[in-house]
Amino acid sequence: MERFERIRAPLDALYRWAGYLAAVFLVMILALVSLQMLARWSGQIFAGAPDFTGYCMAAASFFAMPYALNKGNHIRVSLLLGALGRHRFWAELWCWAVASALTVLFAWYAVKLTRESHLFNDISQGQDAWPIWIPQMSMAAGTVLLAVCAIDNLVTLLVRGRDNIRPSTTGAGAMEE
Amino acid sequence: MEEFYLVAAFLFVLFLLLGTGVWVGLALFGVAFLGLEMFTSRPAGDAMLTRIWTGSSSWTLTALPMFIWMGEILFRSRLSEDMFRGLSPWMQRLPGGLVHVNIVGCTLFAAVSGSSAATLTTVGKMSIPELRKRGYPEYMVIGTLTGAATLGLMIPPSLTLIVYGVAVEQSITRLFVAGILPGIVLAALFMAYVAGWSFLRPSEVPKITERMSFAEKMRESRFLIPVILLILTVIGSMYLGFATATEAAAIGVIGALALAAAQGSLTRQTFISSLLGATRTSAMIALILMGAVALTLSMGFTGLPRALAEFIESLGLSKFSLLVALMLFYILLGMFLDGISSVVLTMAIVQPMVVNAGIDLIWFGIFIVIVVEMAQITPPIGFNLFVMQGLTNHQMGYIATTALPLFLIMVLMTFLIIAFPELATYLPDNMRNARG
Repeated sequence: MERFERIRAPLDALYRWAGYLAAVFLVMILALVSLQMLARWSGQIFAGAPDFTGYCMAAASFFAMPYALNKGNHIRVSLLLGALGRHRFWAELWCWAVASALTVLFAWYAVKLTRESHLFNDISQGQDAWPIWIPQMSMAAGTVLLAVCAIDNLVTLLVRGRDNIRPSTTGAGAMEE
Repeated sequence: MEEFYLVAAFLFVLFLLLGTGVWVGLALFGVAFLGLEMFTSRPAGDAMLTRIWTGSSSWTLTALPMFIWMGEILFRSRLSEDMFRGLSPWMQRLPGGLVHVNIVGCTLFAAVSGSSAATLTTVGKMSIPELRKRGYPEYMVIGTLTGAATLGLMIPPSLTLIVYGVAVEQSITRLFVAGILPGIVLAALFMAYVAGWSFLRPSEVPKITERMSFAEKMRESRFLIPVILLILTVIGSMYLGFATATEAAAIGVIGALALAAAQGSLTRQTFISSLLGATRTSAMIALILMGAVALTLSMGFTGLPRALAEFIESLGLSKFSLLVALMLFYILLGMFLDGISSVVLTMAIVQPMVVNAGIDLIWFGIFIVIVVEMAQITPPIGFNLFVMQGLTNHQMGYIATTALPLFLIMVLMTFLIIAFPELATYLPDNMRNARG
């Protein structure tokens, strides 16, 4: 039990830092798009910029997914969960079990795709002509972390009786529609 | 016949996962995997991941986090206070008085944020207490705000329209431009409702005391002018073809940062929390989109969309009855799902049907957004109802009742754009196209 508590903080920090990394990619999108605009207005060409922006988008999404999951940002239909009252535990258990299975599946194939891109040395179709496995690493890492996060929550729910998600108190800013 | 059972099993699993509370994006992913396993001999996971990678590393999608970030920055700025102060001098002479601040405020904030929850909170934080203090009846204050906040979904930038555009592969810029006129018309209809209320129940409208000269009014709203300029720049640059949606969004983020800095509300703290908020929200939407991309791939193999499109065609429905049927379907779906989820979940099926019936996909985007807007204020799962409940502690049923007239106005609006499709198609047909 005590050992279990000891890995709680590092795991939360891991998801948080993945989120920070995703935020860095978001800022990079802003920088790339702005540079591209400036280049176009001044009649120059910034080759490959759309491809790099796309890679940043993927990285921003994949790295932030575990962070958002752990913070309870991902959308779900909570009608039944809310109606169950004290039996909610069982529904949550089902959800986390399904989520664990699906995220493991997701991560498995994401890693497989990235590995294959590496093995066959696939090159991007765009102007950047990068080996595609490099940007795909964000997908592999992000989905693996997502699976870790789902399993972590499943185990936490079993051990402690509730998962890591705490209702946010910040209001509507975080719960965009 | 065997096909029928397979399709039934497929849909059953989909609704089982969604209904029991599995996260929408993951549920779509799981059902897509199952569908590919059941209907094809292809390696399901590999096909899905290839699609997901292409979809999530697309350039078009980058408009999404940028617009979310822009909204998050302004949400944390002093805009809420400025909005009420700046708008009220202009609104108090209108029939119905300051209730109009709710509607115009929502329209303005909708033009910097794609989210109706953020719109509602930002406008409501200031206008609810101020309107109460001046004695406006509670049901008008709550109802107009709940209803008008849905404009956040329609007036560009709109997150729902970005997601729709990515799902059906239409230009985001054209969709945004298409949303301008219907958004303004809808806001005008809401204002007409407020005016109508003031004529029918004049005793409920508080008397105005202050009189202000034009110069004084201008001085009161001086903080609002930069925001309006920002809105005009972002939307104008898209309309005039200077920028694509993503680029306009980048301009918007930089403008919003400059604005917040000028107000003195841009601290390290607000910068980081706006950035992290945007990161989480866009990851949330990205996961749903990934599930949707996989589901679309899988749906294609089930033959369900094509069969349904052919079935609808064989019924010989008029365009009008098809649209009314779709409207009812989306209202029903919206009672349980949020707007973005219901759009991505159904597009694989609805798109062939709509294209088959000869309906323009840009126009249909606006149609679907109005319908999804309505779902925001219908119980049991109306997103705006939740936010409003959090803001005022009123019962959900009460809030929904106060917003009912606005719901009916949206139904009217749906019929208006069916009758006058030019409302949505005129501007996009006459805009200049940006490169890329």
